[in-house]
Amino acid sequence: MRLPALKLLALSAGILLGFLLGSAPLSGQRAPSANYENDKKVKLSGIVTRIDWVNPSAFFSVNVKDSTGTIAAWAVEIGNPLDLQKDGWKPTALRIGDMVTVEGIPARGPRRQAMATSVVVARTGAKVFVPSNKKAVKAASQPAPRWPDGHPRLGPPPGKKGYWGTPSSTVLVENTGVAIPMNRDGLLANITDSDKVAPFQPWAKAVYEYRQRTLFKDDPYNRCIPPGGARHFQNSYGFQFIEQPEVGRILLLLGGGDRNWRIIYTDGRPIGHKDELVQTYYGASTGHWEGDTLVVDTVGFNEKFWFTNGGLPHTEALHLTERFTRSDLNTLRYQVTVDDPQTYTRTWTGGWTIQWVPDEEIQEYFCEENAESTFIR
Amino acid sequence: MRRRAFRLGCLLACLGILVPSFAQQGHPLTGTWNGDWGTTPTQRTQMTIVMTWDGKEAKGTINPGPDSAPASVFLDVINWMVRIEADVKDQSGKPVHVLAEGKLEDIGAYHRTITGTWRQGTTNGTFKLTRD
Repeated sequence: MRLPALKLLALSAGILLGFLLGSAPLSGQRAPSANYENDKKVKLSGIVTRIDWVNPSAFFSVNVKDSTGTIAAWAVEIGNPLDLQKDGWKPTALRIGDMVTVEGIPARGPRRQAMATSVVVARTGAKVFVPSNKKAVKAASQPAPRWPDGHPRLGPPPGKKGYWGTPSSTVLVENTGVAIPMNRDGLLANITDSDKVAPFQPWAKAVYEYRQRTLFKDDPYNRCIPPGGARHFQNSYGFQFIEQPEVGRILLLLGGGDRNWRIIYTDGRPIGHKDELVQTYYGASTGHWEGDTLVVDTVGFNEKFWFTNGGLPHTEALHLTERFTRSDLNTLRYQVTVDDPQTYTRTWTGGWTIQWVPDEEIQEYFCEENAESTFIR
Repeated sequence: MRRRAFRLGCLLACLGILVPSFAQQGHPLTGTWNGDWGTTPTQRTQMTIVMTWDGKEAKGTINPGPDSAPASVFLDVINWMVRIEADVKDQSGKPVHVLAEGKLEDIGAYHRTITGTWRQGTTNGTFKLTRD
C-alpha cells in the first residue's frame, strides 16, 4: 500500500528530527556520537554496586541479571556532576544496593555501557537525576554595558557577575544560508552534504568524510585534548572575558574542555609570524576594536586538535579572524573567518550567538588530558 | 634497586599514556616516518622519510642528513594510496631511481602506517613506514 504523500513527508521529517535530536540524556549534555549509538535504546534493571560522582562525567555501575541468571556489570553515565547539582541532584539520590531500572542509549561496540535517559529507583519509585525544567528567565533586553571610552564591556556590568553560556549552535559550517542536517556533534545526516560544509581541498574533504564515517573515533576531544580554535565556544560550560585595558589585553577564561585560557593582546602589537611562534592549541591572539566589534586575529595553532565539532581539519597555516559583537546585555554574536590555504580553497565564515548567564561564574568543569577512561568504562 | 625499577616503570607507563595525546591531526602525510624496505623479511634497510604539505603538493626527504634525497610524494585521497619517487644513491654511490607505492592505513591514528611495494633500480621489495 502506498502511503499518501503527506504521511510520507511527515514520516521522513520525523526520522530526520529523530536523528537531529536523538534521545535526550538526563543532564541535557550530549551523548557523543563517538561513544554512543544515538539511534538505539537499551533498558536495564539491576542492583547498583558503585557510584562515581566525578568530573567530567558521573557514572554508576549496575549488576544486571539476564534470563539465564548470568550477572553482567553495566556502567551507566548520568552526565556532568555540575549539571546534575544545578538541577538539585546529589550522589545520595542513589544508594549502593538500590534496585534501579535504567533506560538509555547503548555504547558503541561490545562495552556494557549506556548513557541514561531515565533512572527509576525501585525503593521509592522515584525518577532520579531528572533535569529541571526551569527555563532561564531572560531579563528584559537591556543595552550592552560600556566602558567609559564607549566600547562595549564584554564582561559583566560593574559590580556584577556573569559569563557567556550556551551557544545557539554547536557546529561550524560556512554561512551560505543552506540548511545542512547534522546532529549536535556535527555528524552529517547525509555524507554527500560534505561539500556544503566548507570549501575543502580534496585531501581535507577526504579526511573530513573519514572522520564522519568513523563516527569521530579519533576525536582528540574524547581524550580531553584542549578544544582550540572555535571549538571552545561550542562548549556548554561557557567562557568569561576579563578585560584589562590598562595593560592592553583581554583574558578569555574557558569553562569547558581543559578549563584553559587565552590572552588577546589589544596593545597594538602586530600579529605574530608563524615562524616566530610556538604552535599551541589556542594560538597567539591580537585584537582591536572596529566600532562595537572586537576583532581578534589568531595564528600559531598546532595540528593536535580539531578546531570545531564535526571533524573539520586544519593545518598550522590556520588563521582565524573572530568578531565578537555584544548586541545587547544578553547576546554576543560570534563570527569566525577561517583562512587556511593548505586545507581550504578559499576563506570562509560561519558563526552563532551566545547567551549571557547573569550572576554566576563559569563552572568548575574539568576534562583532563588523556582522560579517556572518564568517558569509556 | 626495586625503587629505581618502580620509578622507571612509572616513567614508561606515563610515556605510554602520553603518546596518543600528541597525534597530528592535519594533512595525513605530514610528519616523520620511520621504517624499512627490503626484498625478504630478514633483508631490510632502515629508512626515515620526512614529509610536508605546502597546500599544493606533498614533498619528502629520504634519510635527512648528508645522504638525504628529495622525494616527490603523491597522495590519492580516494583510495588512500601514496606514491613516493626519488633518486637516491646505492651502496656504491651510483644514482638509482626509487618508486614506492603503498596504502595509507588508519589515518586518524598517531602511528598511522604506509605499506606497499618498493622498487629501487631493478630490485623489487616491500616497505613499511610508521609515522613517528
